[in-house]
Amino acid sequence: MGEGPLVLKLFLVVAVVAIAAMLLVALYGARAPLPQGVVNDAGYRIRKLWLGLVLVVAAAAFVLTLPFFPYPWAQASPGARHFEVTAAQYAFVMPAVVPANVPIVFDVTSQDVNHGFGIYAPDGRLFAQVQAMPDYVNHLPIEFHKKGHYVVRCLEFCGIGHAYMHGGFDVR
Amino acid sequence: MKIMWTYIVAGLTIFGLMLLVGIGLRASQAGWLPIDPGTFYSLLSLHGVGMITAMAIAGLGLLWYLVDRDIQLDARLAMLAFVFFALGVLAVIVSVIFGHYGALWTMLYPLPFVGTTWPSWATGLWLIGVALVMLGFMLICAQLLGAILRQYGGLGSALGIDYVFHRKRFEAAGKHPPSPQILAATVVSIDGLIGGASGLLVGIAMIAHWLDPHVVIDPLWAKNLTYQFGHTFANLTMYMAVAGIYVALPICTKRAYHSSVPLVVACWGTLVFVIIAYFHHLYMDFVQWPAVQYIGEISSYLAAVPVVVVTVFGGLMLIHRSGMKWTLGSTFFFAGMVGWIVGGSAAILDATIPFNVDLHNTLWVPAHFHTYLLEGVLLFILGWVFVSLEQRADSSSNAFVRWIVGLGIFGGGALFLIPFYIAGAAGVPRRYATEPAPGPFWAGVATLGALLVLVGVLAALVEGIRLARAPAVRAAE
Repeated sequence: MGEGPLVLKLFLVVAVVAIAAMLLVALYGARAPLPQGVVNDAGYRIRKLWLGLVLVVAAAAFVLTLPFFPYPWAQASPGARHFEVTAAQYAFVMPAVVPANVPIVFDVTSQDVNHGFGIYAPDGRLFAQVQAMPDYVNHLPIEFHKKGHYVVRCLEFCGIGHAYMHGGFDVR
Repeated sequence: MKIMWTYIVAGLTIFGLMLLVGIGLRASQAGWLPIDPGTFYSLLSLHGVGMITAMAIAGLGLLWYLVDRDIQLDARLAMLAFVFFALGVLAVIVSVIFGHYGALWTMLYPLPFVGTTWPSWATGLWLIGVALVMLGFMLICAQLLGAILRQYGGLGSALGIDYVFHRKRFEAAGKHPPSPQILAATVVSIDGLIGGASGLLVGIAMIAHWLDPHVVIDPLWAKNLTYQFGHTFANLTMYMAVAGIYVALPICTKRAYHSSVPLVVACWGTLVFVIIAYFHHLYMDFVQWPAVQYIGEISSYLAAVPVVVVTVFGGLMLIHRSGMKWTLGSTFFFAGMVGWIVGGSAAILDATIPFNVDLHNTLWVPAHFHTYLLEGVLLFILGWVFVSLEQRADSSSNAFVRWIVGLGIFGGGALFLIPFYIAGAAGVPRRYATEPAPGPFWAGVATLGALLVLVGVLAALVEGIRLARAPAVRAAE
């Protein structure tokens, strides 16, 4: 939640390393060509290690992110207070105030088309979101630890007024 | 050859027009160009569907030609498909320009029918136009798959199953596995038919609703099919263009690229993961069956393995210490692989569920797919065009031209793309005609970058025409 800047840094590191590595492989020793067989012998050995590394990183990423998946949490929030949120072109009907430091659940739906219920923290970071769908109710469990005004923006294109579909609530 | 150039020239022409539309949209978000929201979303609808269609048409032309080199194909079918594409594009243009349709390519049910500011016929024409494009795409896929299955005597052989599991017997019989480009065509055609069927199914349902509003559709069902079709179609544009790597890079490096067991297995992985990775588009739909959310993350990760371990790694092995001459054609191919990896990395971060909470439907999404399309798919197509022209004229571009094109397309491209990432990470929503801060500032920077891209594209166009008009020394690839 609110980890966008961290993801950006992670991406920049990966991108710079990838670009540098690819340039290095392409340009290193470019003026001294080798027979393809020589390059292949070394390349196939490296590729086996590379495959292992990629699979380990993919498996580790999946396992490490599992505890942060919102789905089990969304289904089991016993004792939490529920607040209804209804989206419609181009406004949200939602509570004006929600409590801080207690688990709550937003029950989010839509009266017309698909919308996105995106909650922005007082510091401007995207804090949480869930889709608002017609005919369905999405349950977004959440706990606010910072008091203040939270802005809500629509995060699914919903028509000509999409960019102006916003609201907010206070956390006290 | 005629079919290939017809498709590629048509695709690149649409790309050029959509580039101009895209520059206008970013300039509008920067506050430099007054465009009202209705017109903005009409143009955004046109830009989105136009760009993907442009890449698909050009990529299919390349793929059709590569298959036709090995297995003779009926050009009349390809021209019939081209008629479908042309009629579909025409319907979409009329829907947008004269009907002011503005529910974007996603047209998530029931959006095109609720609270619209355009006439009903525009929605119907848009749906019919997209369906015609899908029919053209599926016709080519069916033609390619049918020809490959006939040539190899069934799906098992076409996918190299005998080769992988009974290799000694297979090789002892003097058989060869399908070439890399045939494997790519098999993957594209099978996944294309599946994705196209999803698109047609939801499209027909929506056309039925358009004709009779009493026909109701489940919004979650429609969303799944829409993204299954949209994700697969967009993703496959890359695999169409990638086929060019397998043929053109060996020409550039004077080395060989043969099918191998890792390549065949990688194609199987791509075949499966491309069609199920779309679940990552529905991470924020908590009512979706949870198991498929887990599958979405796993398949998004695994879809990257064939790319980084086989195709790009193999491409780099071809280039490494080959003495390859850095012409525009070979540079485009190398840069395309870089763009594919960079855009793919951003996509994987977005497909990681805890990060998706922070990135879903922010500008991070167009960030990664613009990287993937502009600095990946487009460069592979341009790479193929220039390798062909350079080979035909036995000539290459001078350093000045290479620098202008490079600075425009790669330098301008970076300046265009980085603002998307920064603003996306800051939570700026996508598809906002008027963005909250810091969106407008970064939209201004991106507009300058896009203008530089335009300069690079125009320089490439002029250079391409020069090479095409040069006397032919030998047959083009």
